[in-house]
Amino acid sequence: MTNETPLLEIKDLSVGLRASNIAYDILRKVSLTVNRNEILAVVGESGCGKSVTALSILQLQSNPPLFITGGSIMYGGRDLVTLSKKAIRAVRGSEIAMIFQDPMSALDPMFTVGTLLTSAVHAHQSVGKDVAEKIALEALEDAGIEDPKRRFGEYPFHLSGGVAQRVMIALALVNNPKLIVADEPTTALDVTVQAQILDRLKELKKDRGMSIMLITHNLGVVASVADRMAVMYTGEVVEMGAVSDVFDKPQHPYTTGLLGAVPRLGGAASDLTPIVGRVPQLDELPVGCTFVDRCSRAVEQCSTTRPTLQVRGRAEVRCHNPVG
Amino acid sequence: MIAIVKRVLLTFLLLLLSSLAVFAAIRLSGGDVTAARLPASATAEDRELFREQIGLNKPILTQYVDYLAKVAKGDLGNSLTNNAKISSLATEKIKNSLILGTAAIVLVFGIGIPLGMMAAFRRNSWLDTSISSASVAGMAIPNFWLALLVVWLFSSSLGWFPSAGQGGFKYLVLPSIVLAAEGIALTVRMTRSAMLENLSQDFVRTLRASGLSEGRIYFKHILRNSLLPIISLAGLRVGQIVGYALVVETIFGWPGVGQILVNGVLRRDYPIVQFFSLLLVVVVTLGNLAANVGYTLANPRLRK
Repeated sequence: MTNETPLLEIKDLSVGLRASNIAYDILRKVSLTVNRNEILAVVGESGCGKSVTALSILQLQSNPPLFITGGSIMYGGRDLVTLSKKAIRAVRGSEIAMIFQDPMSALDPMFTVGTLLTSAVHAHQSVGKDVAEKIALEALEDAGIEDPKRRFGEYPFHLSGGVAQRVMIALALVNNPKLIVADEPTTALDVTVQAQILDRLKELKKDRGMSIMLITHNLGVVASVADRMAVMYTGEVVEMGAVSDVFDKPQHPYTTGLLGAVPRLGGAASDLTPIVGRVPQLDELPVGCTFVDRCSRAVEQCSTTRPTLQVRGRAEVRCHNPVG
Repeated sequence: MIAIVKRVLLTFLLLLLSSLAVFAAIRLSGGDVTAARLPASATAEDRELFREQIGLNKPILTQYVDYLAKVAKGDLGNSLTNNAKISSLATEKIKNSLILGTAAIVLVFGIGIPLGMMAAFRRNSWLDTSISSASVAGMAIPNFWLALLVVWLFSSSLGWFPSAGQGGFKYLVLPSIVLAAEGIALTVRMTRSAMLENLSQDFVRTLRASGLSEGRIYFKHILRNSLLPIISLAGLRVGQIVGYALVVETIFGWPGVGQILVNGVLRRDYPIVQFFSLLLVVVVTLGNLAANVGYTLANPRLRK
C-alpha cells in the first residue's frame, strides 16, 4: 500500500480568514493523505480546522471570508486548488462526494428526495429520466433505506434524522465517487442510528472499494471504523498514523490528553484527565508550539520554535518532546 | 373544511363592517348631495324635498338598514348624479379596472422577480447596484408625481403613448407602469433579500457538493425557496394596487372603478361610493385569499 500513490494528497494546505481589517490563518500547512480503500479519520475539537480542511477539498469553504493561501490538494494527478470553477464542479459528486453534519438542514426542503437525487445524477450523467430514477432508487437501497420507492416521493421534512442522513449518503453515492468526505455525519443522530450509519460507511468501503475521509470529534467513532487517523489542533495536524498505533502509543501530548479524557465503561469519573487550560484564540497563538501553554512536557524549545510534522516510529508527530 | 367555512364567515363579517364604515364615513363627511344633481337655481325647499325623497333625513342607522334590505333584494340603487342603475354601470367599470389591475400585477411579478433574481445572482456588481438604486427610487417616488413625469416624457415630449383615455394596448402602457411601479420596487427588494438569505442555507452547500451548476442552484432551488415569502405578501401587493388605482385612473382618465369612485366621493353620490368601495374591499379580500391558497400550494409542508 505504501508504494502506491495516495488517492488524495493534501500538502501544506493553508487557509486564511480575511474580514475587513483582520487576517488570520485558519489552517497552517496541513498535510494529509487518504489512500485507496481506507477510512481516514480526522479528529480534533471544535475550531481546530477539521471542517475547513474537508470543505477545502471541493472548494466549498465560504469564500469570502476564507481563502486558500498556499499548498496543494492532489487528486488523480490534478491540483484541486488550481482548478477552474467548471473543472471543480465536474469533480464534485462524481469523483469526490460530501456528506454533511445536520441532514435536516442540508437537504433542500422544497423538493422531493427523488428530485434531489435525480438532479444530482443529471449534473454528471446525460441519461434519461427513467435511468436517473433507477440510479436514484439503487442509491437509496445502497444507503440502507428500506422502502426506497416510498422515500422517493417524500419531502425532507417527512424524514427522521437517520433516514435523512441515509438520503444524504444516497445523494453522495449516485455518481459513484471514489472518495466520500463525511463531515461529522453522525453528530446530530442518536447512538443507535449513529452505529447503523457508521456500519453502512464501513460496508461501502468494503463493497465498493471506496475511501472515506471521516471528520469527527468522537474518538469512539474513530476506534470503531477508521484505518488511519489524523489529530488536528489549532489548524495543524499534530499527529497522524494507523489508528491502532496512535491509540496504543500516542506520541503527541495533545493526543495523550484527548485519549485520557475519554470515559471508559466501568471506570470512575476520577479516571478522566482533562487537558488543562483552553484552546488559544487565533490572534493569541504562541510563537512556538501552539500547545505549549497546556503541555506538561514542554521544554524550552517549545516556546521559541514551532515544531514540524516528523516521522517518528510508525506515525508522524509534530512535537519537540514526544511521549514514549 | 372548518377553516374554509370560518374564513367565508369572517369575510362576510368584514364586508358588513366595512359597509357600515363606508356608509357612515361618506354621510358624516359633510358636503351637499344636491349640488351635483339639482340645478344651481334650485330653492332650499327643492333641495330639502330631494333629501327627503332619498331618505337622507332619517337617522343614519335606519338608512343603513334600509340600504341593506334593498341590497339583499338585489337592488344596488341608482346613481344620485345621473340616476343610472349601478348594476348596469358596474360591468363596464369592473372590466376596465380588471384590465388595468391585471396588467399591473403581471408587471409587479413579471418584472420584479426577474430583476430581484438578477440583482442577487450578480450581487455587489454594477448591475446589482443599478437595480437596487432604481428600486429605492421606485419606492420613494410618489405615484401621482411619477404619473406626471411619464406623461411629460412619453406623451408630451416623445409622443410615444397617449396621455389619457382608453383605447388599445397603447393606452394601457403608461397607467399600468405607474400603477405597478412601487410594487415592482418592493418585489425586487424582497426577491433579492430572500434569494441572498437562502443562499446562505446549508442545503446550498449540499447542492454545490453534488456538482450542480450555479445557475441551477439559483434559478431552480434558491428561487423555489424564495418564492414563498413573495407569494405570502402578494395579497399586500393586490391591496396596494387597488388603493393606487384611485389615483392612477383619475390622472390617466381611465374609466374604471377608481375613477368613478373618486368622482362619486367628490359629488357625494352615496350609492356609487357605497357599492364601489365595497367592491374594492372584496377584491382585496380575494387577493389575500388567493395569496393564502398560493402559499399553501407552494409549500410542501402545508400541502396534503
